[in-house]
Amino acid sequence: MRLFLGFIFLVLTVYATPIKPQHDSIIDQNKVIVEEQSEDNFEDEFSDEFQDSDGKEIYDPFSGYNRSMTGFNDYMYINILNPVASGYSYVMPEPARDGIGNMFENIFFPIRFVNNILQLKFMNALEETGRFVINSTFGLLGFFDPAKTHLDWQPHKEDFGQTLGFYGVGPGPHVVLPFLGPSNVRDAFSKIPDYLLDPTTAYIVDYPRDIPSDFWSTMAIRSVYWVNKASLHQGEYENLKKDAIDLYPFLRDIYEQKRIKEIEE
Amino acid sequence: MKKLINILLLLLAINVYALSIEEENIATVMKTKIDLVTTLLQNKEISKENKSKQIFKTFDPVFDYPLMSRLTLGKQWKKLSHEQKKEFEELFTAKLKQSYIDKLDLYTDEKVIIKETKKVKKTRIKLFTELIGKEENFEIIYKFHKSKKNKDWMIYDVEIIGVSIMQTYRKQFAGILKTESFEVLLKKLKNKVN
Repeated sequence: MRLFLGFIFLVLTVYATPIKPQHDSIIDQNKVIVEEQSEDNFEDEFSDEFQDSDGKEIYDPFSGYNRSMTGFNDYMYINILNPVASGYSYVMPEPARDGIGNMFENIFFPIRFVNNILQLKFMNALEETGRFVINSTFGLLGFFDPAKTHLDWQPHKEDFGQTLGFYGVGPGPHVVLPFLGPSNVRDAFSKIPDYLLDPTTAYIVDYPRDIPSDFWSTMAIRSVYWVNKASLHQGEYENLKKDAIDLYPFLRDIYEQKRIKEIEE
Repeated sequence: MKKLINILLLLLAINVYALSIEEENIATVMKTKIDLVTTLLQNKEISKENKSKQIFKTFDPVFDYPLMSRLTLGKQWKKLSHEQKKEFEELFTAKLKQSYIDKLDLYTDEKVIIKETKKVKKTRIKLFTELIGKEENFEIIYKFHKSKKNKDWMIYDVEIIGVSIMQTYRKQFAGILKTESFEVLLKKLKNKVN
């Protein structure tokens, strides 16, 4: 009996000891090469995961234009939007800027609502509606976000590009839009329905009355939105930019990967 | 004999536990590491330099930098000489660390929640975490592989809101190497590190 236990113990210990390869007989130089080769083969196991970046070339017919537009946007951001935003944040305390940001997000409710419905995400649409009702009233026109802080009702950002993606529309070639930054053909066209759903848009239907003032008031509201948003994210773009070895493909890739993820969700 | 069977079962149970603990450890080990780093970051008295030094001390053992260097170059890696591989590995590791240090400037008081681990393949595990920001939460996925060298689970990629860090580098390098030589790529990388 004791012998048997001893045998089991022996078997287990042998089993538990890792088998060490006998390298001693091989000279050092060979060892390096052998190791390197096995590492190379090892890499192939990962190729399925990162496949699309190798072999297949990225279809990017607008790359020339995109590159220069990336440069333009980068210049505008660093030299115009950013200084304005930092001046604005100097006079406007952060809680106020948070509140203004919240108000904008609250006003954009129809965009999220319609796109959630179109993607058959009814529960999300319901939660969004609840958020809009609570935040517009108790949240003082959306300045505060009691729906999130008190009721834990989360926003569900969806736009028309995601809706199209949901129904299987591919992104198409990458396009960098002036001022708005990275996009693709699908998402760029999708900005039109979202723009029409946006309550801060001066509707084209109104035009016989007062085009210029409507257009300019829309632009003014947009500017406040962008400056406010930039003021809440100061330094982030510059920080991200430092990571890039080549800025345009870097930003393009981040955008496209992020969109795939957003559509999946 | 019944006693023997009991002992055998017990031994088996211990053995199974010992086998699975490695994988299960991933979440707990990462949690202690991340918690350590979070408290470190919240301490305002330690200099940034010391902070990053200590952070790398905690994270370096779980990051497979050599593999990451290999992965970013893809098929091009095999075409390089031994010296070129070494040089690239050094530079790329430095670049990864540099960009991490840069990110520390953005830290305010975010916290990280460990959510779950998912075994994607026999040798791949994804650890899902969430960074709790002021306005939004961000999903961060740490991708582990089972290292063939030391049988440890090590990180080979980090995915932030769907953006794989390895993938972005891979595409940039592939783009550069399409028109430029490897030496140009090294030079570009060198400029970024310093």
